[in-house]
Amino acid sequence: MPVSSAKTLLLSCRSFNRRQRTLMVVALTTVCLLALLCGGLLLGEEGLSTNLTNRNMPPSLSYPLGTDWLGRNMLARTVQGLSLSFAVGLAAASTSAFIALVLGLTAALGGKRLDAAITWLVDLFLAVPHLVLLILIAFIFGGGITGVITGVTLTHWPALTRLLRAEVLQLRSAEFVLVSRHLGRSRWWVATRHLLPHLKPQLLVGLILLFPHAILHEAAITFLGFGLSPHRPAIGVILSESMQYLSAGSWWLAFFPGLALLIMVRTFDVLGDNLRLLLDPHSAQE
Amino acid sequence: MSNKMIWFCLLLFSLAWFPITGCGGNRNRVEREGRPADELVLAVGGEPEAGFDPTTGWGQYGSPLFQSRLFRRDNNLTLVNDLATAYEISADGLTWTIRLRADVKFSDGMPLTAEDVAYTFATAAASGAVIDLNNMERVETKDAQTVEFRLKQPQSTFMNLLARIGIVPKHAHGSGYALRPLGSGPYKFVQWDKGQQLIVEANPLYHGQQPYFKRITFLFMSDDAALAAARAGQVDLLAVPAAFARLEIAGMRLLYLDSVDNRGIMFPFVPAGGQTKEGHPVGNDVTADLAIRRAINVAIDRQTIVEGVLDGFGSPAFSSSDGLPWWNPETVIRDADLEQARRILADAGWKDTNGDGILEKGALQARFTLLYPAADLTRKALALVVADQLQPLGVKIDVVGKSWDAIQTMMHSNAVLFGWGSHDPLEMYNLYSSKTRGTGWFNTGFYINTVVDGHMARALSATSEEEANRYWQKAQWDGQTGFSARGDAPWAWLVNLDHLYFVREGLSLGQQQIQPHGHGWPVTANITEWRRKE
Repeated sequence: MPVSSAKTLLLSCRSFNRRQRTLMVVALTTVCLLALLCGGLLLGEEGLSTNLTNRNMPPSLSYPLGTDWLGRNMLARTVQGLSLSFAVGLAAASTSAFIALVLGLTAALGGKRLDAAITWLVDLFLAVPHLVLLILIAFIFGGGITGVITGVTLTHWPALTRLLRAEVLQLRSAEFVLVSRHLGRSRWWVATRHLLPHLKPQLLVGLILLFPHAILHEAAITFLGFGLSPHRPAIGVILSESMQYLSAGSWWLAFFPGLALLIMVRTFDVLGDNLRLLLDPHSAQE
Repeated sequence: MSNKMIWFCLLLFSLAWFPITGCGGNRNRVEREGRPADELVLAVGGEPEAGFDPTTGWGQYGSPLFQSRLFRRDNNLTLVNDLATAYEISADGLTWTIRLRADVKFSDGMPLTAEDVAYTFATAAASGAVIDLNNMERVETKDAQTVEFRLKQPQSTFMNLLARIGIVPKHAHGSGYALRPLGSGPYKFVQWDKGQQLIVEANPLYHGQQPYFKRITFLFMSDDAALAAARAGQVDLLAVPAAFARLEIAGMRLLYLDSVDNRGIMFPFVPAGGQTKEGHPVGNDVTADLAIRRAINVAIDRQTIVEGVLDGFGSPAFSSSDGLPWWNPETVIRDADLEQARRILADAGWKDTNGDGILEKGALQARFTLLYPAADLTRKALALVVADQLQPLGVKIDVVGKSWDAIQTMMHSNAVLFGWGSHDPLEMYNLYSSKTRGTGWFNTGFYINTVVDGHMARALSATSEEEANRYWQKAQWDGQTGFSARGDAPWAWLVNLDHLYFVREGLSLGQQQIQPHGHGWPVTANITEWRRKE
């Protein structure tokens, strides 16, 4: 369990300073997440095939998370589901961050009309309920994995865009930028040499913190049935499937995958918070 | 930001746990809370989208409740008179004359006459919905108690149509009829809250035996909600999926009924390249190979599927009509025989030349897509299990879940997990006749065999049911060819589902028929014979 082990480690190494501890947490969470991803890739189709002699087995030593009504190993399915969520999250979060960067820079540097247009777009996207928008977009793009990634990508950029725009606006009026402009540097030069380095920590932390959002939304729309093919081991699919069997008493089908999702999301959260501590000039040297 | 996410997770969790905690506490409640003995509450689903109008499809299976029919099938599936007293078929098989009872009244007191019968069939034929009346040229009244049907082609199964359509009153049939039905059936309409419940009361003017239950409420709710209601003692009869079969409900017993509600895999019969009228692709090179279809039929372990997927509540299926009068018992083959399946494939030239575990024949790989409706848990499980069972054979099946709309565009060029099962042999004709190639959901694989067509044509033009059944059986397997797995094998039938119900102690459902397709409503077919023993 990445979070709790990280915490016990934290308690036992009070002797380290804040920066060292933060670094350790970052390293630990990264390793956990990478292990999960690799686990999903290495497992492949293994353990997903049906095995009718071992149906509906509660958690045991040979099947730590039990088996489902077709005898499929729930541990394998959960790891597969999480790594699929991870991949979807990665694709969606990085594309979202890229869109946010481009729009944020354009809004702040591109003149009044462009700024008004982009601000209006941000307001529009923030005003529509997120899940509804997500479902609409996923539906328009024909569902499936493309639909899910496009949907998640196209709905997660507005908050970060707004943040980056404000940051650029503030930077633009900073004295060193003004001086640089008066010294005759081009807009492009100022944007790449002065603005981008300042935006890097915002962008990186923003990206990491988009992850849990993207993953939860992916799980939510696959749970509602707008996403992936229903036998694919995605966390949302696993959870919605298990609903049918809860009344029959198979509690482990929903409990462990749900817990695993919670832990993974929380791990990303911890990673993002600690990265912010490291990268933010105010707290970086504590 | 992070707090919001944690709350979302917690919400997901509490949702996940709700059904468990929702039904944990009621174990020891006493049954049948304070209802009079002659009142009944059923949760068997079957709510019709379009309402209760027989001319647009209501009442094909089970009891039509509000209406009565010319003929009906008794508990042994034999056709018996209901509104009719006698019938006559002309020598050429084209004219059917039906004589009616004179004493039948609609529940509003008006008499039921030949006018109403003619009106019902003319309206149903004009609406074209669901019911296959294309073959009817016209329907006329001879006198107040005599109706005459004129057919375009002889059709021995026409009797089944007469036994399927409830008679509506000409004087009270209009646009709102489906929402407030009126007829000569055992029950009359009281109230319908769409999506929630239907309440009916016994019809005192009913011409048959008065039903024991004077008032019946049909609840329409999700499986989980219905289960909770049953545990609280609020339901007398509950239809449940196989996953609930091992549960215990205080005061209720499990009843499982045999059915021809089957599930099977339809294979595209012709090679790829064609197109339907709508422009959808037709044909599949892999499944067009007889060896592939036969090998799959032989290799599938149906008994294991019944035990594994259906929890034992079902039976292996070898045709679309197992156990019905027109079924040919020779269609049963020895299955779960991988060796035999391997031989069939090897003899036809399928070999694994590149060692990837999938057979090849020239440039063709033994690999195809199997579609199933995404929302159907049982079909999903069946598709996955069959794909796994065929892997050691070297036949690779890619299982894909789609909506029915999407399947409709892909079902002529991919294998599909369909379900059928009817008390009318016409269904068999529709599934296997070359005339219905690409017609709606029928014969989507474009199966064609002129010998089979010949047998089925003779079955249709037969003048007695026995003679017709002989030809239906020949169409399945006549010693040389047929559409069963021994012949062309255009389908791999897998299982017949048992229909599971929880029945309140003391409630007797009489002798039930072999159940048709559709779990739930068909159980009501003999609702007038139900009793409560106290």
